[in-house]
Amino acid sequence: MGTYILKRILAIIPIFLLVTLLTFGMINLSPVDPAEAYLVASHIQPTDELLAQKRQEFGLDQPLLTQYVNTIVSISQFDFGKSYITNKPVWEEVSSRMPATIQLTFGSLLIAIVVSIPLGFLAGIKKNSAIDHFSRILSFIGASIPSFWLGYLFIFFFSVKLDLFPVEGIGTWKHLVLPSLTLALPLIALYTRLLRASVLENLQEPYILFARTRGIQEKAIMGKHVLKIAISPMITGLGMNLGKLMTGTIIVEAVFSWPGFGRYFIEAIFNRDVPVIQCYVLLAAAIFIFSNLIIDLLQMYIDPRISRKGRQHQ
Amino acid sequence: MSNRINKKQFILMPLIILLSSLTLLGCTGESGEEETAASSTENENTITLAWPRDIGELNPHIYNPSQLFSVSMVYEPLVSYQDGGELKPHLAESWEISEDGKEYVFNLRQDVKFSDGTSFNAEIVKKNFDAILKDVDLHSWLGFIPLIDQTEVLDEYTFKLTLLEPYYPTIQELAVVRPVRFLGEAGFPEDNDTSKGVAKPVGTGPWVLDEYKVDEFATFTRNESYWGELPDVEKIKVKVIPDAETNVLAFEKGELDLIYGEGVINLDSFRQLESTGSFETSISEPVATRQIVMNTNRELLSDIKVRQALHYGFNKEAMVDGVTSGLEEKADYILPTNMPYTSNVDVTAVNYDSEKAEQLLDEAGWNLPEGKDIREKDGKPLEIELMYSSAESIQKTMAETLQSEWAAIGVKLNIVGVELTTQVERFKDNEFDINFFSNYGAPYDPHTFVNIVATEGFGFYQAISSYPNKDELLEQIAKVKQTTDENERQELYSAILGSLQEQGAIVPISYIKKIAVYQKDVSNFTFPANRDEHPFTGISIE
Repeated sequence: MGTYILKRILAIIPIFLLVTLLTFGMINLSPVDPAEAYLVASHIQPTDELLAQKRQEFGLDQPLLTQYVNTIVSISQFDFGKSYITNKPVWEEVSSRMPATIQLTFGSLLIAIVVSIPLGFLAGIKKNSAIDHFSRILSFIGASIPSFWLGYLFIFFFSVKLDLFPVEGIGTWKHLVLPSLTLALPLIALYTRLLRASVLENLQEPYILFARTRGIQEKAIMGKHVLKIAISPMITGLGMNLGKLMTGTIIVEAVFSWPGFGRYFIEAIFNRDVPVIQCYVLLAAAIFIFSNLIIDLLQMYIDPRISRKGRQHQ
Repeated sequence: MSNRINKKQFILMPLIILLSSLTLLGCTGESGEEETAASSTENENTITLAWPRDIGELNPHIYNPSQLFSVSMVYEPLVSYQDGGELKPHLAESWEISEDGKEYVFNLRQDVKFSDGTSFNAEIVKKNFDAILKDVDLHSWLGFIPLIDQTEVLDEYTFKLTLLEPYYPTIQELAVVRPVRFLGEAGFPEDNDTSKGVAKPVGTGPWVLDEYKVDEFATFTRNESYWGELPDVEKIKVKVIPDAETNVLAFEKGELDLIYGEGVINLDSFRQLESTGSFETSISEPVATRQIVMNTNRELLSDIKVRQALHYGFNKEAMVDGVTSGLEEKADYILPTNMPYTSNVDVTAVNYDSEKAEQLLDEAGWNLPEGKDIREKDGKPLEIELMYSSAESIQKTMAETLQSEWAAIGVKLNIVGVELTTQVERFKDNEFDINFFSNYGAPYDPHTFVNIVATEGFGFYQAISSYPNKDELLEQIAKVKQTTDENERQELYSAILGSLQEQGAIVPISYIKKIAVYQKDVSNFTFPANRDEHPFTGISIE
């Protein structure tokens, strides 16, 4: 187990190099000059002298290779540089906005779990019942509505018309409800279907028949056996979606004026705030890598066959 | 098997508990605070509005990320720009300009205090100027800054500015929101280098920053010891709402008192809010002219007849009205006439006349071959490209309108949408045929506009590059900034602006205006004459 974790962590290094190279390459392929973007954002008319001054300040006048090496060196010392626009350390800016995004992510994850487990389970054991139809409709809607539009709909009905929740901002639990719900709906759609399919599959297993012949109560079979085994694919799903969720909050953050780092990133893209873009992409990569790692470890713990297979390959 | 189930249970339950507690923890921390804040603002005399971006650190000497309107709430200028371009004393009570136009002596107001109680005097004015001058290149876009030779304290309340050469717009440029506004002593960082940040936002203005949460909101309270007229409203709360639709929804729900700005909400939302009858709406005087700028370096557009034909060839009034739902007004002049020296420019009005347009194109040698839709000359089709900023729906819709209007006179217009930064870059690098642009507006014009026209390496320069009187124009533009004779200056401006327009490479399209929508309990709302200033002077709420 120890070597496995170490291997996985070492694998992060080449991924990190690849990610920085890709980000760096893409930023430099873009026709927009960050110095120019800075001046436009400042409402200053870009003259050649000013551009040259800004390029020098940002270190953009150096050869590409030097720029790339400098970036790698400073990032490996955990220094993401200063934002071109705010002139403050990027890490400070990003980390101060992180709690808001994490709160939103966990809020929506919680709603997704609380709704999809009973719904998926019931839809599975009562196939073709009313609740199954309801879950299908909900999944269909959840999977097809774009989140920004859903956000507006929620604001319009629950906030403007019914006055149940505030339109925007952060603070109380009420502020969290609508944005979390907006983010959770696609997840609910996914997990409900996943759980339903998994329950249906388990119902065909011989152990159900044995349990029934042993005279165990139906409730106990479903609750203690089927649900707990069928939920396993959902855990994998959760892990894979954690990264997606953290980085997928951008649109919802904009719609609900949620002060997270997704929104900060969007502005950085428009302003070609290179250090911020780099930091964000690396952070996103790191979140994906770690959430996958954690889920892998979790699965190994639940199902020892996985780790045994791993050891056989060694 | 039961062992495995227990393991899963063992993992899953804590996971759910962890999630719920984290989420709740995140909420409870601030909930108490927020509720008291909400209830107290209701009792108080507060105006709440939304702004698409965070207000920034309120540094009066640099450009990003501080927002102009919020800087103008806290910091004040020596001179203020009023309606019609009138320049009125503000922190300077009066000023004298020497005969040669190089020396400016300002008599400062003696009753002004910074919000921390320290007094405003010539020393602090000099200190601010010196901090700005440390970074002269960054501020060189503002004409008088690179010309400053000396800053002197004559006595406690007299400050003298000496320029290297006469430059008449100096007084007008002192009205801009940045960088020439005044930070109190306590606001300076240890090394006095404000380009890296301010210690705290201390100004003389009517508002003082009270509470500030990055990306969430900022509240400003009234400066109780303000030297001028005390605002009627006690508090201004600025919420950061990046999304225009959310802004409208929050306003409809009553969470906001005011929507204000240029392009802050879309045109349909404005008309929809207006039609409910539950809110007050208001549209400002022109703040700038939306123009299309033709690159006369392009062979096609170097012919004045082609340029004129394009101008005659579209129904401007219908287009502006249709595209902007009447929020903008058809423009006849390349600068709005409510700016200094712009009111009596003598040009022939160009009214929609497609026959005349076709006639002009025929005269220019662009004929319509049998069975074709596009005119040709020497076998080459009359094909041009128009660049617009893809984020601006008005530019996009206007581009599409021009495409269909000009197709009717046999011109093929290709339209291409680009990001704002790319638009500026291509405009600067001579990589455009026709582009949308605008002038800067008050308090920068007319001198900044004519100056840009004469600046080599910016798009407007390409517009005049094949004008037969280009050299004369450049000479006039250089002269107009230096002359100390008021009459001569007026004559020069009339000549420059008249000629720029007659030659037809800069076509005025519409006058850009600001909008405001406010709740019925808000009264005395007025638009600031200075495009960048805050709109809270005199405003009140019941």
